[in-house]
Amino acid sequence: MAVRLLKSVRTSAWFGWQNESNWTDPLLFAGYALLKPVASSLILVCMYTVVSRTQPQGSLFNYIYVGNAFFMFVANIVFGVSWTIIEDREYFQILKYVYLSTNSVPSYLVGRAGAKFLLATFSALAILLAGRFLLGIPLALTTIRWGLFLPVFVLGVFSCIGLGLIMAGLMLIAARHGGVYAEGVAGIFYLLCGAVFPIEVLPKPLQALSLYIPLTHWLEGIRRAILGGSISPRLAVYNDAQLVLILTATAVGTLVLGWLSFILLDRFARSRGLIDMLTQS
Amino acid sequence: MSPLSIECTDLGRVFRSRKRRQTEEKTALTDVQLGVEAGELFGLLGPNGAGKSTLIKILATLLLPSSGQAKVLGLDVVGQAGSIRPKINMVSGGEHSGYGILTVRESLWMFSQFYGLSSRESLRRIDELLAIVGLDKDAHTKISKLSTGMRQKMNFCRGFINDPQVLYMDEPTLGLDVGVAKVIRAYMREWMEQRPDRTLLLTTHYMAEADELCDRVAIIDQGRILACDSPTALKRRVGQDSTLQIEVAGGNGFSCLAGMRGVKRSAVTHRPADGRTDLSIILEHDSAVPMVLAALSEEGAGIVSFKKTEPTLEDVFLQLVGRKLTADADAAEQS
Amino acid sequence: MQTLLNNLRAARARAYVRVIGTNRELSWLVFDILLPVLSISAYIFIYKAIGAPEEYGGYVIIGGVMTGFWLNVLWNMGANWYWEKQTGNLEIFFLAPISRLSILGGMAVGGMFQTSIRAMSTAVLGALIFRIPMQVAHPFGALVAFVLTLVALYGLGAMFASLFLLYGREAWHYANLLQEPIYLLSGFYFPVRALGFWVAVGASVIPLTLGLDAMRQLVYPHHGMGLLPVGVELAILAGLCALYVGMAGAALRTMENLARREGRLTLKWQ
Repeated sequence: MAVRLLKSVRTSAWFGWQNESNWTDPLLFAGYALLKPVASSLILVCMYTVVSRTQPQGSLFNYIYVGNAFFMFVANIVFGVSWTIIEDREYFQILKYVYLSTNSVPSYLVGRAGAKFLLATFSALAILLAGRFLLGIPLALTTIRWGLFLPVFVLGVFSCIGLGLIMAGLMLIAARHGGVYAEGVAGIFYLLCGAVFPIEVLPKPLQALSLYIPLTHWLEGIRRAILGGSISPRLAVYNDAQLVLILTATAVGTLVLGWLSFILLDRFARSRGLIDMLTQS
Repeated sequence: MSPLSIECTDLGRVFRSRKRRQTEEKTALTDVQLGVEAGELFGLLGPNGAGKSTLIKILATLLLPSSGQAKVLGLDVVGQAGSIRPKINMVSGGEHSGYGILTVRESLWMFSQFYGLSSRESLRRIDELLAIVGLDKDAHTKISKLSTGMRQKMNFCRGFINDPQVLYMDEPTLGLDVGVAKVIRAYMREWMEQRPDRTLLLTTHYMAEADELCDRVAIIDQGRILACDSPTALKRRVGQDSTLQIEVAGGNGFSCLAGMRGVKRSAVTHRPADGRTDLSIILEHDSAVPMVLAALSEEGAGIVSFKKTEPTLEDVFLQLVGRKLTADADAAEQS
Repeated sequence: MQTLLNNLRAARARAYVRVIGTNRELSWLVFDILLPVLSISAYIFIYKAIGAPEEYGGYVIIGGVMTGFWLNVLWNMGANWYWEKQTGNLEIFFLAPISRLSILGGMAVGGMFQTSIRAMSTAVLGALIFRIPMQVAHPFGALVAFVLTLVALYGLGAMFASLFLLYGREAWHYANLLQEPIYLLSGFYFPVRALGFWVAVGASVIPLTLGLDAMRQLVYPHHGMGLLPVGVELAILAGLCALYVGMAGAALRTMENLARREGRLTLKWQ
């Protein structure tokens, strides 16, 4: 069973990579993978510069910059898992065959998102390297606390997969323009989990909500591991072990919720005959 | 003689694609000479990949030829595409045009607006066409809810919406059940009878369809037109020959038939389902029959059924190309 | 005259699909109101975190309003031909005796209803939630800047559409690629002068750059963050309108011919 699941993930990851990368030559593809995220980071740099009227620097800027770099994973994985449904159903029109040929659609979706994960990795690395060498952000392999970074990073990826599966389930019953829903959900997390500002800036009820989201603790853990500390007083009350524990609980919860919600929505979609619908307008 | 609605002179089309910095070429049409008169229901008969759709796309102004010239209603498809378009329309089998969110009637109205019809006139035509193809009860059904056959009926109606001078039907009955295909064929014939100045170019790989509907048929294979005449005249070409249909059990390869004296052409179709083999054989004369039967016996093949048939367009294709048209179709369906 | 009438009919018919589509699938309403507000909220919170004056929130709102129109041009007009080709509609459009611009115009006008709701809700909700002062100092000037920006933008969108005739998925990826760099170069969320004068002037080939800058100057005239005097910006925008609309027709014709020659007009899954 587990072997079949892994095979399904591997095959769909291969297909996902072919689909992402085969439209152009490698050099252009690399530019594509880098230009977009670097531009999004430069927007933050410009915003910071235009207000402070100085070269962007300091712990707040570092906080914003690193959070934005790692948020690439959220946007790419959540979007990657869920957009596959729309793309396979409406563009390639193969979703029905995917249903016939794979023993686990969720594992297929996770595999397809593997390509997006790779893209996000390139993008995050590019942003961090640009931050290190162009903006002087204190990043070094030797100062990263790998013992904290690695488990936190993996748990964050699991959370993103869980969120992606929830969105993929919704895509099964949504029209083509539902593709923007995943971006919308990514936008909600961009806002709530303190990706580019400390959560203390949010109104009090949203701050409380933020503490229940795994990605808030994920980004906090990543920043602690890379930058060596936190500037958020509300999150600083947790030590590293507590942070990892909270992250583990919320990540597993999200993954289970994602899997179950996909199964339920998939059943609903099949009962309504929506697996091969075409909804272009 | 009627003026030519469609005229192709030395028409050729080559597709080029670049793979790993190397240019690959595929010739789809070679030196096509064709003249279709106004009032004709003209058929292009050929297997998958023969170049039928490429020719239609060129005549519909969607694709430029690589060489030669094509004219529709006396207008050049390259330089005068804008003048041709108001006078033509096209329906392709298996197409999914339209928007799932619109109803059948709304979708057809939308397409009619591209031809400048007033809404009143277009709705009148739409209702008339839907009634003809039996889709009137589903006029207010969303396209996303239609079956394949219903969708094809709708596309069929779209093709007639502007009452074109020249209509291209590219495999219009592809994948349809017998009932729907019959309705579509009947309307094509009726439309042509009611409008003697119109031209309908039909591509198909169903011989019976071409035989039943077309005034004239061109047989096309590998981008070349091999013969062009009325179905009766084409069949007369093999009329002097004897055509045998033999079903055998056992046997192996049947290479004995190739080159046998008195045998002009032969085609072998294995049936994996029951292990039997269908042989189509064109003989120069009936006197060759005993020799064929003896050779089959030597091959170890037991004869299950034997009949001598009237020649069909299939036999014409077999004589011209050296293989059966349906074998291509079967292979395509199996793949 | 008859040709014009036919093209208007075609545009109306294509717009009808969009309008009907939005009315029959109302889920977009929630997301088109919610998503842009979320998006601008994140940027307004960043400005709050770095202690920026509250006008910067207004800059973000104006950027958020124009984002909807930009996305409409990029995805619902130009890139939509990628989907039309896939479903087989594109070849039917090209078979018909109408201008390609009428189809694109129909798509744009049909999408305008949805985009306008998005734009208005972004402006109103953004101003209300964050209590940002949005008194427009020069409403007529702002309206002129808005209209000129839209016309130039839609001209540019029609030029993009021509690329989709020839390149399918590749063009889709390029459009996707362009999204963030254009947010950056047009100064969607900050005064474009922050890029440096010459970079900002170079970025002015994108109509949004000068359009946003002019609108911000006309809404907040005392802030002094403008790139060029408003009059100059409006004159350049008017020039861009003529240039892009004029070039769109020519680009569509050229690309159509190229696509017919290379056989890409009817090629799917490319």
